[in-house]
Amino acid sequence: MTNRIDLHPTHSHGEFKLRAGKPLPFGATLVPGGVNFSVFSRYATACSLVLFKKHAAQPFAEIPFPREFRTGNVFSMILFDVDYENIEYGYRMDGPYDPENGHRFDKEKILLDPYAKLVSGRDVWGKEPDWNNIFPHRGQILADDFDWEDDCQLEIPFEDLVIYEMHVRGFTAHASAKVKHPGTFAAIRDKIPYLKDLGINCLELMPVHTFDEFENSKLSPVTGERLLNYWGYSNVGFFAPKAGFAATGKFGMQADELKNTIKTLHKNGIEVILDVVFNHTAEGNERGHYISYRGIDNKTYYMLTPEGYYYNFSGCGNTLNCNNPIVRNMILDCLRYWVTDYHVDGFRFDLAAILGRDQNGAPMSSPPLLETLAFDPILGKCKLIAEAWDAGGLYQVGSFPSWGRWAEWNGKYRDDLRKFLKGEPGLAGAVSQRIQGSPDLYQWEARENCASVNFITCHDGFTLMDMVSYNGKHNEANGENNSDGGNDNHSWNCGWEGPCDDKEVNRLRIRQIKNAAAMLLVSHGTPMILAGDEFGNTQYGNNNAYCQDNELSWLNWEQLSENAEIHNFFRQMIAFRKASPMLRYSSYAMNAAPDVEVSWHGTSAWNADWSGAARTVAFMCRRWQSDERRTVEPDIYVAMNMHWDAHGFELPGLDNGRRWHVFANTGMESPDDIVTPGNEILLDNQQYFMVGPRSVIVLVGK
Amino acid sequence: MEVKTQMKGKVNVISLVGDLDSNTAPATEAEMSKQIVAGCCLALDLSKLRYISSAGLRVLLMIGKQLKTQGGRWAFCGLSDEIADIMEMTGFSGFFTVYPDLKTALDNLSANQE
Repeated sequence: MTNRIDLHPTHSHGEFKLRAGKPLPFGATLVPGGVNFSVFSRYATACSLVLFKKHAAQPFAEIPFPREFRTGNVFSMILFDVDYENIEYGYRMDGPYDPENGHRFDKEKILLDPYAKLVSGRDVWGKEPDWNNIFPHRGQILADDFDWEDDCQLEIPFEDLVIYEMHVRGFTAHASAKVKHPGTFAAIRDKIPYLKDLGINCLELMPVHTFDEFENSKLSPVTGERLLNYWGYSNVGFFAPKAGFAATGKFGMQADELKNTIKTLHKNGIEVILDVVFNHTAEGNERGHYISYRGIDNKTYYMLTPEGYYYNFSGCGNTLNCNNPIVRNMILDCLRYWVTDYHVDGFRFDLAAILGRDQNGAPMSSPPLLETLAFDPILGKCKLIAEAWDAGGLYQVGSFPSWGRWAEWNGKYRDDLRKFLKGEPGLAGAVSQRIQGSPDLYQWEARENCASVNFITCHDGFTLMDMVSYNGKHNEANGENNSDGGNDNHSWNCGWEGPCDDKEVNRLRIRQIKNAAAMLLVSHGTPMILAGDEFGNTQYGNNNAYCQDNELSWLNWEQLSENAEIHNFFRQMIAFRKASPMLRYSSYAMNAAPDVEVSWHGTSAWNADWSGAARTVAFMCRRWQSDERRTVEPDIYVAMNMHWDAHGFELPGLDNGRRWHVFANTGMESPDDIVTPGNEILLDNQQYFMVGPRSVIVLVGK
Repeated sequence: MEVKTQMKGKVNVISLVGDLDSNTAPATEAEMSKQIVAGCCLALDLSKLRYISSAGLRVLLMIGKQLKTQGGRWAFCGLSDEIADIMEMTGFSGFFTVYPDLKTALDNLSANQE
């Protein structure tokens, strides 16, 4: 209906034609004839819309919202005849400056719309900004009519996912990536054949929301290079994609480029999960600067101490007030937006334990935000993955409120597997739990197996190659005297700290990487691989590369040929997982009969050694006797010897005339370490297998 | 922004000259719409298009949809490397047939007509 009577101006301000807008939706929305602007502030006494011509130093207009344009605590206005692509907008708000009572209004500042769908100001990655810009992060207006054709969320079952965690820029920024537009959304498309060949069906993108790579930038004391906020765990705008990650960002087309990337990934069977950072913003603490929220409604958006200081549960200066009803709705609006407008398949929530704290910071038993997200209709088929801890000491792995919907980054999986891999004794019991999807953590709640996202490495910490090459972190280049980054790495350098020429050390490292890959990909739950681990990417011992926008953190694709045997091992293990439904076990809810009979073994069959000295453990998966699939699906037996000596393992007997065949044996040199699924090699000795020092074998009975 | 038209045989050649963005999009769309008649055959020559924005690409998409409902056909030619690249990365190129130059576009459009 284009002839509505409320589509005509009622007011004017100079040359501008206006009328009262619609309070919902928040943000700037294209409507027939103009743009509807709507912004919330509970405590502002006055508000004006500030307009700039694209990239202009000074605004060309400032339009106050008259009283009749405010409904409740929402200022809204329709501005007619707007050349919407060539303007940038912000708000100026007046109100009390009274920090003790939580208010920090400053009418000198021009503020970014919290709901801005496009943000300009850092359009080209790493381009030095004009530090005198009076409004550095500017809202822009987006036409949201992308043509998705028949694309929709893929809804791959959680247990079938193989997640690949990547930094959009780091994935292809290195010259060896050989892409047309390095470090961009568009370049991910160039790598789709690679990802498919590897067997990946889900990308987890590190933050792609608008952030400022120049936040806290400084020069490295080691290299003299400028250090940037490369990872981007510090939000400027929750609704806007990072322009600097788009080859078309300089034309303001980052939204279309990201949407097209997701659409193309979906066409190729690959889901997209976004890493979202709702625990804090880039505005910092009392000494921080004004971008948006603190000038729009400080008391609503942030958790404040009774004295009006910022709580710092994030370790980044401030804490978003997630369980305030306004902020809760903003987060919900934001996630719904990414699902409806970007067709995103799921989210990983950074420091998610914060989302369960009340407005004073106390953990709640049934946090309204988490419950809302668990039951939201639009997010109904999304993957929701929590990083179930925060920087304020709340650790909720196994106890994060889930309502059967939330999964967790399983930090205990990482720690137990790493300790076992490096040869610590007494971990057989813990490892058996981890490999079964951690029922000790999740069964009490009758959670689905999708509760556990299993990982040994992620962006935070050592890469897999570094985990087997360094005993300690080497973060000097970060300029914090090596005091940043975790110290509990559970890593082992295999006998020499860092790169070395010793053939034995290097062989052992490769074997340990293969051991890790084998364990990860036979574990129940959802495996997550850190991008580059499949070809031995190193960060030279830096376990916190958040500020390293350079070759230290970028994937070096030349390693793909140098470490072809690692890559092949990952690829075959992923293929094996996909070919083995028993490894993608869907439920261990207490009242449901389990689908798979999992038995535990030691060097003698049916007799696992759970003692404090054990460094070996083995398991077998098969269908139950009564299950007709038992005759179709091969039995699987995995023996893990993390001791420095070889050990003989007695193999459990098979029925129906089946015989054991070797799929993988990390104790063998390439190409005898692994075969393609279906081509397993018959064992001469069906009773006994000598597993080499620090080695894993995977057998199939068929 | 200027919209020029010229008949070459049975093909109507439309040339866009200048910048196509939210400022020029409405007038350009109106002007191009006039060229759409049932069963028409258009060649869109973009060799003089200096810049195209997101709103500009949407105009082309809208015209394409109108053309389809009228049983018309069209093809693009003369794209600069940069514009071709933008269209590729933002997914717009998937909706259009693109030829390197006007002659190839005319040859193909005419050949398909007979």
